[in-house]
Amino acid sequence: MSTRLKPEEKKLKVVGTRPLRPDGVPKVTGIARYGADYSAPGMLWGRILRSPHAHARIRSIDTSKAQALPGVKAVMTSADLPEQKFEYVGPERVAVNFWHMTRNIMAREKVFYEGHAVAAVAAISKSTAEEALRLIEVDYEVLPHVIDVEEAMRPDAPLLFEDMITRGIDPAPDRPSNISKRLEFKIGDLDAGFAAADEIVEASLKTAPVHQGYLEPQACLARFDPDGQAEVWASSQGHFVIRALTAKLLGMEMGNLRVHPAEIGGGFGGKNVPYVEPVALALSRKTGHPVKIVMSREEVFKACGPAPGSSMTVRIGVRKDGKIVAADGVFKFQAGAFPGSPVMNACMCAFAPYDIPNVRSVGYDVVCNRPKTAAYRAPGSPVSAYAVESVVDMAAARIGMDPLQFRLQNIARPGTPTVWGPKHTHEGFTETIQALMKHPGYRAPLGRNQGRGVASGYWFNNGGESSAAVHVNEDGTVVVATGSADLSGTRASLAMMAAETLGIDYDKVRPIVADTASIGYGHLAAGSRTTFATGIAVVEACKKVIDNLRARAAMIWDVSAEDVIWEDGCARPAGGSKGRFEPLSLKAIAAKRGVTGGPIVAEVSVNAGGVAPGFATELCDVEVDPETGQVKVLRFVAAQDVGRAIHPSYVEGQIQGGAAQGIGWALNEEYIYDEAGRLTNAGFLDYRVPVASDLPRIETVLVEVPNPNHPFGVKGVGEANIVPSLAAVSNAVSHAIGRRMTELPMSPPKILKALSSER
Amino acid sequence: MSRASGRVTRHGSRVAGVRTPARVVFTGDFGDRYTGGVKEFAIEAKNLRGVIKALDALYPGLGEHLEKETTVAIDGEIHEVGYYQPVRPGCEIFFIPKIEGG
Repeated sequence: MSTRLKPEEKKLKVVGTRPLRPDGVPKVTGIARYGADYSAPGMLWGRILRSPHAHARIRSIDTSKAQALPGVKAVMTSADLPEQKFEYVGPERVAVNFWHMTRNIMAREKVFYEGHAVAAVAAISKSTAEEALRLIEVDYEVLPHVIDVEEAMRPDAPLLFEDMITRGIDPAPDRPSNISKRLEFKIGDLDAGFAAADEIVEASLKTAPVHQGYLEPQACLARFDPDGQAEVWASSQGHFVIRALTAKLLGMEMGNLRVHPAEIGGGFGGKNVPYVEPVALALSRKTGHPVKIVMSREEVFKACGPAPGSSMTVRIGVRKDGKIVAADGVFKFQAGAFPGSPVMNACMCAFAPYDIPNVRSVGYDVVCNRPKTAAYRAPGSPVSAYAVESVVDMAAARIGMDPLQFRLQNIARPGTPTVWGPKHTHEGFTETIQALMKHPGYRAPLGRNQGRGVASGYWFNNGGESSAAVHVNEDGTVVVATGSADLSGTRASLAMMAAETLGIDYDKVRPIVADTASIGYGHLAAGSRTTFATGIAVVEACKKVIDNLRARAAMIWDVSAEDVIWEDGCARPAGGSKGRFEPLSLKAIAAKRGVTGGPIVAEVSVNAGGVAPGFATELCDVEVDPETGQVKVLRFVAAQDVGRAIHPSYVEGQIQGGAAQGIGWALNEEYIYDEAGRLTNAGFLDYRVPVASDLPRIETVLVEVPNPNHPFGVKGVGEANIVPSLAAVSNAVSHAIGRRMTELPMSPPKILKALSSER
Repeated sequence: MSRASGRVTRHGSRVAGVRTPARVVFTGDFGDRYTGGVKEFAIEAKNLRGVIKALDALYPGLGEHLEKETTVAIDGEIHEVGYYQPVRPGCEIFFIPKIEGG
C-alpha cells in the first residue's frame, strides 16, 4: 500500500505515471550484460592473491614458481603500479590520497586486513590462475591487529601507520595514533544550553560494520592495446570516475582509457571506487591480452569497502515544555585500513532535523585492520541518526511527550541554522511527521511483547556535473543518452522527463547510458543525484531540441521562429501566424530532417545546484519473542519528502529498499571477526540480510513538496529512507522489552542478554 | 585590489563606499590552514568568481582549495562551486565541505 500526499499542480501527462522500465525485459530474460558477462577473443582470466593476515609486514614476494606454471601469462605485484604522491586531494569527505589508494588496490610494505590484495595472476583459465596463486610465496611478519574503534583509539593500540599524526587538532599531537582526523561543528553556547535544560538525557551506543549487500560482485573486462589505448567494461556507479581513478593508478592519460558501463547489479555506494579494474588493466598491459576478473562473494566481503562500525555518545538537554535546548554528540567511526570514513557526514546530519540553538558534533576518523570503508546509502547519516534518534526517543519519554509530537515541536524549518552554518531553506520535514501522525498505524493497538518506534532522518542529496544528449530520429523517436549509471530505474525517470518536456509518448523515447567517449562527463550515480542533476541536463537538452524544431517549423511555414510555439508535442503557429497552418508534430518535422538542416541533436552539460535535502520519518512495530530473542517486524511505514515522484513505483521501491536495508542493519547484519582478525561470515548464509519472508509489506507515504530549483520539483529519493530505519527499529524493540537497546545489531543473543538484565 | 575582483575585509570592518558586501563564512576548520583560523569575511563581488579571487588574493592557494573541495550555500541554497553563481549584495555565503553520497 502506498499513499501520495501532493500539492495542486498543472496536469502532467507522463511525469507521475508508472510505465514499464526500459531495462526491464533484458533483465528478466537474462540478456542484460553485467560486468561478468563481457568477454573478448584471446581473453585471459585474472585472479588475486589475498592476505590471510589482518596485519602483517611483507618481507618478500616470490612469484617465480607461479610465473613458470604452464598457462600463466603474467604475475603482477604492487611493483607494476607506479608509486603515488602522499597528499589528500579533492572534497574533504571523500578526499582521495592516491598513496593510500594504490596500496589498497595492491599492498606494498604491509597488508592491513585479511583479504588485502598482494599479487595477481593472468592465465588461460580460471583454474590455472587459481593454481598459480597457490605457488606465490609471500613471507609475512605477522603484526598485532586492531578491529574495534575504541580499542584502535587507545594509546597502546597497534599502529597501522607509524607516522600518522591526527589532523584537525591544534597544536598537532606529538605522537602517532590510529586517529586520522578529528573534526568538530558547533553553534551556540553548549554550557548555557544544558544549564537551561530541565532534563538531560545521555546514552552511549555502538553499531557494527555492515556491507552494502549488492548482489553483483565486482567484475570487469580490460584490454590494453600496444598503442597505449585501453578499454574497460565494468559494473560501477560512475564509469567516468572509474576512468579517472584507474588512469591515475596506472599512470595513464585519461584520454587513452575508454570505460563502458555494464549493467549494475546493485551498488548502494560500494561501487563508487575501483577494485578490480586497475588490476585487470595492469595484467592486460603486461600480457597484451584482454583480462577478465570476477570477484567471488567471499572476496567482496573481505576486500571491498563496507560501511563503518561506530561508537557514539549523545547528550540532549530538554525543557519540560518539550523544547530541546542543547545537544552534543561524539561520533567515532571505523575508517578501515585507510583514512576516510563518512564521519563528517555523520556529524553534519546528526542533529540536522531539529531546531536546536546550542549544538555540537565531534567526529573521529579512526583506521583499523578492516577493509577501507566505502560509501553506503546516505553514508554516515544512518549511524549518527541511530544514536540521536534513540536519545530523542528517551528524551520524549522522560518528559512524557508523544515522540512524534516531540519531534514536530523541535523540527527544523526554513531559516533554522544548521550546525555547519547555512540555514535550512526547504520545506518538507514537518510534512513527513504530520503524515505519520495521521496514519492509522500510529494509533493501532499493540499486543503483548510488542513495541512501536518512530524516528526521523536527514540527508543532503547531491547535485553536480551531468551531461545529456537528445537525438531525434527521422521517424519521430528520440534517443536520450546520459553518462549516469542506472542503479534504480533512472533511465525510466529521465525518459519520462524527456517525453513530458517534448510532449511525446514515453514509449517513443529510448534512454541509454553512454560510455566515456560518447557523452560529456557525468559524475557518480550517488548521493541521490541522478534524477535531479542529470534530469536537469535532459530537460535543458530537450528545450534546445524544441527551439531547433520551432526554427524548422518556421522554415517550413516560411514565418519567423518567434511566431512558432511548442505545445503538446507540436509546433503551432502563433502571434501574427496564429491559425494559418496546421500544427506540425515532432515526427512530421523529423521527417524533413535533411531539408531543414540535417540531424536534430542537442547535448547539454550542467553543474546542477539548488539541491534540496531528503527527509524521512518512519514508524516500526515489532514483536519480540522472549524465549528466543527473535524480533519480528509487524509493521513498517515510511513517509519521505520526495519533491515530486517522477515514476512513483520506483520511488516507492527506493523507500522500501532503504527501509529493508535499515531493518537488516538494525537486527542482523554484522561482520564477525575471529581472534586473529579474520572475517568468519563472508557469505550470505552467515551474513544475514533480510529476505522477503523476514519483512512485512513496507508501506510508503510519498510526501510531495516540490523543489522549486528543478523543472519538475525533484528531490533525491535514494538515501533519506535508510536514515531513520535503524533507530525506528531500535526504539520499537526497546519499547517492546522495556529496556533501552544501545548496540546494533539487535541479534537474538543481545535481546536475551538485555531481557535478563535489570530494567 | 580592484573592484572587479571583489573587495574583502574580515567581517565587521567593511570597505567604505561600496555596495553591501556579502557575508562569507567557512564551515568547520577546513580553511584554517590558509587563513590561520579566520572564518568570516565581508566581500563585495558580483559573482562567486569575485569572492574566490578576493580570498585567494588575501590567502594565496585558498582559491583553488575552495574550488576543488567545497560546496557553497548562498542564502541557504546549496550549489556546486561555480564562478557564474551570482552574489547578491548582503547575501550570506557559506563554503562547506563537499559531500558525496552512496
